[in-house]
Amino acid sequence: MKKYWKCTAIIAVIVFSIGTFYVNSAISADQNPEFVMKTESGDAKEIEPLVLEGNYQGDSSMNYVSKSLKITEDGTDYTNRSFLDRLIGSPTPVIKELQDEYHGFMRGKTPAVSLFFENNQRLAYANVEYKIGDNSLKTRDYTFDISLLNKEDGSTDSFTMKIPDGEELDHIFVEDVQIVDGELNIITENTVRNSDNIFNEKHVYTIDIENQEVKNHEAIHAPKGQENSQSEIQLIESEMSTTAHEKLLLLKTDRKIINDSESTRAEEINRELISYNLKTKDKGKISGDLNLNENEISSFDGSTVYLTKVDGQEHVITPFHLEDRQIGTAFRFQLSDKPNIKEPPMIRIKDGKLYATSQRMNSKIDGNVIVADLKTGETLYKGKLGIKDAEDEKDDYDLYINDMFVK
Amino acid sequence: MIEVKEVEKKFGRKKILKDVSFTANKGEITCLIGINGVGKTTLLNAIMALTPINNGEILIDGEPVKEKTFEKISLIPDALTMIPNMTIEEAMEFMNDFYTSWNRERAEELLGFFRLNKNDRISSLSKGNTAKVNLLLGLALDVDYVLMDEPFSGIDMFSREEIANVFTSHLIENRGVIITTHEVNDIEHLIDKVVLLDDGMVTKEFDAEKAREDDGMSVIDVMREVYQG
Amino acid sequence: MKKYLKLVNFEFNRVVKLFIVLLGITLVVQVAGVIIKSKDYLNMANEKINEDLIPKAQFLTDYGQFSFLHIIRSLWFVGPIALCAAGVAFYIFLIWYRDWVGKNIFVYRLLMLPTTRFNIFFAKISNILIMTLGLVAFQLILLPLEAMVLKWMVPDEFRNDMGIEEMITSIPELNIIIPSSFVELILYYGAGLMAVSILFTAILMERSFKWKGIIAGVIYSAIAVIVFISPVLLQEFVLNSYFYPMELFVIEIVMAVIVLAASVWMSGFLLKKKVTV
Repeated sequence: MKKYWKCTAIIAVIVFSIGTFYVNSAISADQNPEFVMKTESGDAKEIEPLVLEGNYQGDSSMNYVSKSLKITEDGTDYTNRSFLDRLIGSPTPVIKELQDEYHGFMRGKTPAVSLFFENNQRLAYANVEYKIGDNSLKTRDYTFDISLLNKEDGSTDSFTMKIPDGEELDHIFVEDVQIVDGELNIITENTVRNSDNIFNEKHVYTIDIENQEVKNHEAIHAPKGQENSQSEIQLIESEMSTTAHEKLLLLKTDRKIINDSESTRAEEINRELISYNLKTKDKGKISGDLNLNENEISSFDGSTVYLTKVDGQEHVITPFHLEDRQIGTAFRFQLSDKPNIKEPPMIRIKDGKLYATSQRMNSKIDGNVIVADLKTGETLYKGKLGIKDAEDEKDDYDLYINDMFVK
Repeated sequence: MIEVKEVEKKFGRKKILKDVSFTANKGEITCLIGINGVGKTTLLNAIMALTPINNGEILIDGEPVKEKTFEKISLIPDALTMIPNMTIEEAMEFMNDFYTSWNRERAEELLGFFRLNKNDRISSLSKGNTAKVNLLLGLALDVDYVLMDEPFSGIDMFSREEIANVFTSHLIENRGVIITTHEVNDIEHLIDKVVLLDDGMVTKEFDAEKAREDDGMSVIDVMREVYQG
Repeated sequence: MKKYLKLVNFEFNRVVKLFIVLLGITLVVQVAGVIIKSKDYLNMANEKINEDLIPKAQFLTDYGQFSFLHIIRSLWFVGPIALCAAGVAFYIFLIWYRDWVGKNIFVYRLLMLPTTRFNIFFAKISNILIMTLGLVAFQLILLPLEAMVLKWMVPDEFRNDMGIEEMITSIPELNIIIPSSFVELILYYGAGLMAVSILFTAILMERSFKWKGIIAGVIYSAIAVIVFISPVLLQEFVLNSYFYPMELFVIEIVMAVIVLAASVWMSGFLLKKKVTV
């Protein structure tokens, strides 16, 4: 045995040292505080579909290390704890559900919610494919890659088609997919290069699913080329969903370019909402008392636009019904006693319910969670973010909420 | 019995061994004689599966070489194949570690016989002593066959004598020995069988005793006849 | 099995001096780095506070506290690690070629051992692994020691203490050598083992067929690499991301095992049938 001492010793050292390191790091991972949503009033059932994504920055001075986490009503899940989690990636809950349910269909599909459409009969997917040119980095040969799943018989129909006028495109990406009256509408943002200028436009391609051809395509809005002005158009999507709606809502922002001696800046001069009906291809400016200079558009569910603004210490949510172009009853809420104006709350609206949470919490700043019914104006749930076990309470840490999902 | 059958070995395009066949029996000393570069070392290496052959077959007691074979056949190459900064004792320890056929007593006996000091480092040994250690490591194994590659080359006279003495001792008794040499003088009286190698072929294989008794010819006489006749 | 262990031990004893030298250099240079870097910082602090008359608090906000990061990012720390990596890389070749050089060609003895020649391969590859993990383990022991030296050197108020894990995650190079989870450790060093097995096969090809063997070795290595990354290439360029990441991961592991097994088999074959002294 004497002969083997060197080898035995080094192996013992390896096992001991590496073992200790990983055991310790496993223990310290467990020492990350478990954050929970503590119910203060209302029904805890309301937060069941809620997923908060964020970062935890630990105590001591180790601000270099931040750990990403997910908070649900079950507690906290530190996502970077396992290598496999990172490798597999964490698709958004909507995509994850689709992947679980339609495992075969979702294969090879870019996991972005905007590329999918789902109703009772169908799950549709559309994306743009292109080649990088042989001798330049310019992209070319734009095609639509389309897949349709018939939910009733499980059959899949996949095809590709050349994008009309693709030669003019500098870039194109899909912003939304909708099926209306059996026709597939792909809403895209196109960067068009003409002989002398480049501009962005929103484009709708209407595709006849039966014959697999582009039936119609048009720009919803193309900015007029004016000097000293800039026009930007933005699609307002219903949050993180694949649901159906006939009407598209677009926010157009006009800016004036001001050339100072020192710099060039843009000043906002006008904002307006434009609606586009996928069925009739009608488009028009939405008139009504939207007060877009003050309000931010925070959500759109296909029929109602929700506008938000800060009023003193309160946040005001105003629904605007597209059908009758009427402003609904405003819902006012105050997330905390000491509102943090610098970091406004994060808001999601789904199925007429408002979900709001603070973006930051620590031992001095409270993190609050509110669920409210916007139709009735009733607060359904009120809670606080906090560390589960009192003994894990720390002085110096920060929890940042970066994103919020409602399943 | 060691059987070498129609062995062919090429280095690149050059055929070192063209068609070599002979046998070596247990209890006999077989001497492979040939000028330098004729492929004697290569042949011994091939028997020990230390270099691949292009054609033919080599059998030890009717079987091709496998891992167990090394417990019953040992090669004493022309240089000592041990790590230079080991001591003789460590080298013996190494052998004892890996070979069940290592015979400690015999190793000690050889150590005394050659008057070697256990604690000497191999790198510090004289040529003669290095050759002796080499012999020790090969002969202390309880093997049936011992292959020796030029055991006398480049060694001083006294060491030669000592080494030659080994052949008449019980250390060799009952074993099959293949020994290669390009000068036969030192051991002529010891060998039972001679295999003459030339130009990659066996030019003559004969019984030394018989040649002596029947034809009154020494090994050198036979060689002279073959090479010059 | 017993013979394999004996060979592992034997091979380790042959490299132990080089190994100790690497450990020694790492220890001396890194600890010296801690001392020198700390001194530099303290001298600067002294100068600013006592000569330029900057208040202490002002100095701390301007220049920050001293932490292990200053050391980890310096050549004093990274240099020995790079040296050790180079040492191991060099030894991957030396572990074979040293048996063929000099007048005492040891490979005779190795090939004549009454044990399967696979064991020679396994013993050598095990030694590369032991050496590598040994260096990693030593670095893991050194880190807290160096943190302690830093504590002695720099007063509390100028110091920002870091945990070991934090030190490691703060520079990516170190995080590759010491990944933050055990699964990754297995995967990284498993991949390393596969790479070494490919290199060993190439070396044995050279030893078996000389010049032609070098070409064969290069071709073998290229094929092995292509086979290993083929699922990723297919996924990227042919299959349009057909596989889910988890599936691709499993396929990659299977590929790695195939490449490793092929290399082991090929090396065994070469050692048994083709290698020459």
